[in-house]
Amino acid sequence: MLGDWASLLIYLLFAALVAGTLLFASVALGTRGRREGRQKAYSFESGVSVGSFAPSNFSINYYLTAMLFIVFDIEIVYLYPLAVILEPLGVFGFVELCVFVAVLGLGYVYIWRKGALEWK
Amino acid sequence: MVDGFFITAIKGFALVNLLMGFFAIMTWVERRLIGRFQVRLGPNRVGPYGLLQPIADLGKLLRKQSVIPAGARPRLYLLAPFVSLTCAIGAFGLMPFGGVASVPGTDIDFHLYMADSNVALLFVAALGSLGFYGLLIGGWASGSKYSLLGGMRAIAQLVSYEVAFTLAVIGVVIHAGSLSFVDIVQQQSDWVWFIVPQFLGFVVFMIAAVAESNRPPFDLAEADGEVVAGYHTEYGGMRFAMFANAEFINAITLSALAAVLFLGGPSGPLLPGPLWMLLKAGFFLFIFIWLRATTPRVRFDQLMSLGWKVLLPAATLNLVVTAAFVVYG
Repeated sequence: MLGDWASLLIYLLFAALVAGTLLFASVALGTRGRREGRQKAYSFESGVSVGSFAPSNFSINYYLTAMLFIVFDIEIVYLYPLAVILEPLGVFGFVELCVFVAVLGLGYVYIWRKGALEWK
Repeated sequence: MVDGFFITAIKGFALVNLLMGFFAIMTWVERRLIGRFQVRLGPNRVGPYGLLQPIADLGKLLRKQSVIPAGARPRLYLLAPFVSLTCAIGAFGLMPFGGVASVPGTDIDFHLYMADSNVALLFVAALGSLGFYGLLIGGWASGSKYSLLGGMRAIAQLVSYEVAFTLAVIGVVIHAGSLSFVDIVQQQSDWVWFIVPQFLGFVVFMIAAVAESNRPPFDLAEADGEVVAGYHTEYGGMRFAMFANAEFINAITLSALAAVLFLGGPSGPLLPGPLWMLLKAGFFLFIFIWLRATTPRVRFDQLMSLGWKVLLPAATLNLVVTAAFVVYG
């Protein structure tokens, strides 16, 4: 039923096993500190104490990049099946592809001129 | 399964171990080469030519004290390197190393690939992308601002180059008419290596691959002058090594992928398939190391505009020209 994916699952199992073993070993084999001081557990700030830290507001650019990624990646996912059967489809497939890329290009020009591609 | 259960299990075990062993040797090769590039010796004390250095490193990293930072979410903090490494090793699974081979001295045949899937290319891209979660989780769960900044940077960079990367590969898919690695390799040995008709696609692919594997000159996520060490600032010992391991194995996977897609993978005269793969992937790995030794790190806005304004249009142009060539040529 699983076909070829069964052998891949076996492989992934070994991959997870290696990663899991290393993670377990990092906890189990590490030397014990002589004193469990608080200072050592503070996060890095060049020796200055950090105080409290909470993830807060973030630059809008990251959200913008994520949205652009979703738009373009979904377009590309649509292109994959077309690419596989492009040769048998012939001229019809090529015209189809050109229309698709043209629409994509329109959106691309729009976001460029809106300045969405500038990192501020 | 292309082979029986036992052979598949042995193959899976062997492939994972060979990959990890190859990674260990490559860390030594990288440090020796960078040493040469910088007119110094590199590690040469542990064993002959310093060859046992990776084992010494492993021993040292394993004995490091396991510190969980005060502000961290412990479970997610521990999960992150696991996710990264598992996905990195997993993405290598479908690489083909040749056709059918037999165990010496017997008549047991087995295939030199784990599985031949008709969505192999998508599988590598998917597992590679799943690995990004490790960086984001690690950056977020560490409870440090540098980690969070590094994690966010890593994701922004990786998704930006993922677009150019997947688009550049479509040219190869159009030529081959298949997403299966076995078919793609077969097409190339029948016709010509895809680097010839797909040179623009190859260039975009290689630039995007360097960015995807987070290596210099695109290692913005761990730029030490800006965000300390990025998403793995708060990681030490083996857990830090797992991130480094995942990053390097991604570079190995992308080198192998470049060899399969553009240089004919395991096909070649005289030498057996696995050796050809080793030579071709090794060539690309050498370029990765060479880039690290000779190029300065780019700025973040340069990185983003290269990805979105240069590579994306170039990959799209390559796609349309390839389609026209295949349909009318």
